Amino acid sequence: MSVAGWTLDFAPLLGWGLVVGLLVLALLAAAFAWWRGLRGWGWRLAAGLAAAAAMAGPMLETGVRRGLSDIVLLVEDHSASQSLPGRAAQLAAASEAMAAQIAARPDTELRRVTLGDDPDGTLLGDAITRALAAEPESRLAGVIVITDGQVHDPAALPAKAPAPVHVLLTGQEGDWDRRLVIEESPGFGLIGQPVTLRLRVEDQGAVPDAVAGRAATLRLSLDGGDEQTVAIPPGMPLDIQVTPEHPGQNVVALALDPPDAGPPQLTELNDRAVVRIEGVRDRLRVLLVSGEPHPGGRVWRNILKSDTNVDLVHFTILRPPDKMDGVPVDELALIAFPTEALFHDRIGDFDLIIFDRYRVRGILPPQYFDNIRRYVQGGGALLVASGPEMAGVESLHLSPLGAILPARPTGRFLDAPFRPQLTDAGRRHPVTAALPGAPGGGGAPWGRWLRMGEVVADPGAEVLMTGEGDHPLLIAGRAGAGRVALLTSDQVWLWGRGFEGGGPQAELLRRVAHWSMKEPDLEEETLSVSVTDGATLAITRHTMDDAIGPVRITRPDGSTATLVLEPEGAGRFSGRFPAPAPGLYRLAEGGLTRVVAVGPAAPREFEQTVADSTALEPLVAATQGAVLPLSEGVPDLRTVAVGRQAHGQGIARPWIAITPRGAEAVEGLAVRPLLPAWAWLVLIAGLALAAWLAEGGRLGSRRSEVSGVQR
Amino acid sequence: MSQRILPLTLALLLAALPLTAQEPPAPDPRLAAAAADGALAYVITGDPQTDETSEQGLSGLTAALRARTTVEPGTPVGVDLDQDELSLLTFLYWPVTADQPPPSPLAYARLNRFLRSGGMILFDTGDGDLAGIDGPEGAALRHLAAPLDIPPLAPVPRDHVLTRAYYLLSAFPGRHRDGQVWVEAPSASAEQGALGVTNDGVSPVVIGGNSWAEAWAEDEFGRPLHAIGRGYDSGRQREMALRFGINIVMYALGGNYKSDQVHVPELLERLGREQGGDGFAPSQRLLP
Repeated sequence: MSVAGWTLDFAPLLGWGLVVGLLVLALLAAAFAWWRGLRGWGWRLAAGLAAAAAMAGPMLETGVRRGLSDIVLLVEDHSASQSLPGRAAQLAAASEAMAAQIAARPDTELRRVTLGDDPDGTLLGDAITRALAAEPESRLAGVIVITDGQVHDPAALPAKAPAPVHVLLTGQEGDWDRRLVIEESPGFGLIGQPVTLRLRVEDQGAVPDAVAGRAATLRLSLDGGDEQTVAIPPGMPLDIQVTPEHPGQNVVALALDPPDAGPPQLTELNDRAVVRIEGVRDRLRVLLVSGEPHPGGRVWRNILKSDTNVDLVHFTILRPPDKMDGVPVDELALIAFPTEALFHDRIGDFDLIIFDRYRVRGILPPQYFDNIRRYVQGGGALLVASGPEMAGVESLHLSPLGAILPARPTGRFLDAPFRPQLTDAGRRHPVTAALPGAPGGGGAPWGRWLRMGEVVADPGAEVLMTGEGDHPLLIAGRAGAGRVALLTSDQVWLWGRGFEGGGPQAELLRRVAHWSMKEPDLEEETLSVSVTDGATLAITRHTMDDAIGPVRITRPDGSTATLVLEPEGAGRFSGRFPAPAPGLYRLAEGGLTRVVAVGPAAPREFEQTVADSTALEPLVAATQGAVLPLSEGVPDLRTVAVGRQAHGQGIARPWIAITPRGAEAVEGLAVRPLLPAWAWLVLIAGLALAAWLAEGGRLGSRRSEVSGVQR
Repeated sequence: MSQRILPLTLALLLAALPLTAQEPPAPDPRLAAAAADGALAYVITGDPQTDETSEQGLSGLTAALRARTTVEPGTPVGVDLDQDELSLLTFLYWPVTADQPPPSPLAYARLNRFLRSGGMILFDTGDGDLAGIDGPEGAALRHLAAPLDIPPLAPVPRDHVLTRAYYLLSAFPGRHRDGQVWVEAPSASAEQGALGVTNDGVSPVVIGGNSWAEAWAEDEFGRPLHAIGRGYDSGRQREMALRFGINIVMYALGGNYKSDQVHVPELLERLGREQGGDGFAPSQRLLP
């Protein structure tokens, strides 16, 4: 469609100054002629004006314009909350009907905008703002949004749109939903100290009378253990205490029982929640008892004191009971060894007890060793680094502690240089695996040690390192619920001193100490699982054994499956398992169990599920659009003038309207002079001639004669 | 000519390669024994009389340690700085004489590693009766110690661990008793020395001029070899010198052990308070 129009423009040939000059000259000449009574003054004036006009160069501009089609935006919310029963069909039907009605209108284009899931929920505001920005404002005739109204970025919604915005809401009138809201959950908790979770049950939508106000049954379990049930009334925040039991992730699973009466709620996905609490230890308390000051004593101090997470209580036996020098007590800086406080009253407060070259010399009565044994068997940790005293009669192995030490001394003490070696178990054990400079690996070889005690390791203990003649050097054992590590040489300090290049002394001792305190990263047998790619469990098993059984997986619905993990070498096995349904998956292999929670792909989508247009209403009202529930049918589409109310009630069903904009575009422009140069010449010359004729009487004389006759 | 030498050198290098892959030679048995029983060591200066005094002095100190404490060092060893491996030792007594030749650069590298990794050197200029460390021995010490990584020094503070590592001491007499004793200056953060937190804040050097070895030295019958002071004071000063010796060995072996013992009662108290006094009670399971 073409529309022609024109405009006048000027292009002065010699500048506006000349035009003005000519104009002034023509006016002055005409005024003079008039004053002198010349009859042709009018013609003179006309000729002067024509000359000035010719110099101004009038041009005629002709534009070519084209009418533009109207654009209607159809925004479809395909986020996960639209997959709730019935909504997808509603969305498809409404979108189909709207598209057909728009296609039937002449000069109207349809722009579809489809909105998917985002980790942050339904970003409808952002989608509408972008779609509006992408289209020319003057052509936009209407915006139709098909959604459940759950907008997670209401701040991004535009305040105003150039055309009516209509919202077609999915969902049914009787929709209702009950959900579990975690109001407060700490990410970390000290082991053994209860942490508080604050929960609330919220009912939304048209809650049936049979359910409203009735308490819901909440089941909760820690790490897949026994379930506990609590009655929780809707709308009331409830505090629940949970105690993290172990380091690392503690999984608290919470689920509401489905209401037993009334129409079903929209979804049960939001009736479940999983809270992960990282169990952390309070500052570790380490009791270090040195039997005597010796060159390796400071090694322990340096490691433990540089660890900001450790409170070190250190005692060194400086003077044995059998040596007396007669020096008055007030000249001595010695304090009594508070054995009762340490080994009777407070023994349970320590996370680790280290005996460094301790010699049984009657300072600790046997019942205190018994206390230590009980402490270890009850879950404590003991580390013994022994020198030559181990082979003698003052050996700790001959005390009641000997029962839990993972090796038995033969009584021989080997005075020969040796290079510590990792055993097969040591290469696999997290304490010694990948120690820098380990034999067989890269880097400089470890330096030698010069002496060690000969021991026979218990069959149940793991020998991680060997020394001279393949005798055990570092032995890791267990006693009851506790752990015991034994280092049969007192010369680990040579590594720290750099003798023959030294070795990773600090790292080794740090790992031994933390292993005995059950740090999760240093466990030998681990089963770890993580959720990847939305719905796949990545399972890794680390073991000291050569083979493992299949992992038994219990799905949320109670069905079980087994998965055989593939070996990856050095005691690692791994596998993947699809986990399509959300919920708790329980994994078990051997004595290890793990619980992992697979959430819905878009958890935010299911927080609020009842259709609600509150967030969109200001924009709809500002553009004179309408919010219509699709449960009452798909509305008709009409057109109204811009600025008029764009919705109403028809005979059969309500209607919404778009506003045709009649926008047009300029496609071309033609410019030509108003008159050709010769025509100007003829005009000016003709007017000048007429003035001359008039003044010469030839033009005006007849007229004057006539008038004279009349007079 | 060099063309002929090059293949020869290469051949020698190749021949040497398998050797380096084998076990290194056995360590010096003297030093290995010193590592095992924590023997005290002294620097051999080349001056026979000084070296003999050092040996006798450390023997006297060793005997005192064995008689009074749990530390039972073996026979003292003399160390040739240019030859011997220091990483097996912990405590090194270094008497400084005016005409002592400085050790080789390699020896300085070993000494610096020794100081960094937890060793301790007691420098003794032996001129505490005269001019502090400004005499010819002081100049020699400055010359000898210049290449060492020695932190800023200060006179021993009143509350330093050296004053209470075993005995309570207010002075550090040797054969002389007026010489000033210097240790690493206390740094801004009390627990952290110049060598970083890994050294437990222990001063790697102690410097003085009280000629301690002469005070410690005794003959095989336990009689003093060098005269000290006069009358009753003589015995007392010798005893104090031994006490200083015992303290410094305790400091070298135990580090700042005594300084954190001050906090032990408080720490124990806190343990009890945090646990509410009921100790190792099994934690309660999940309760609503």
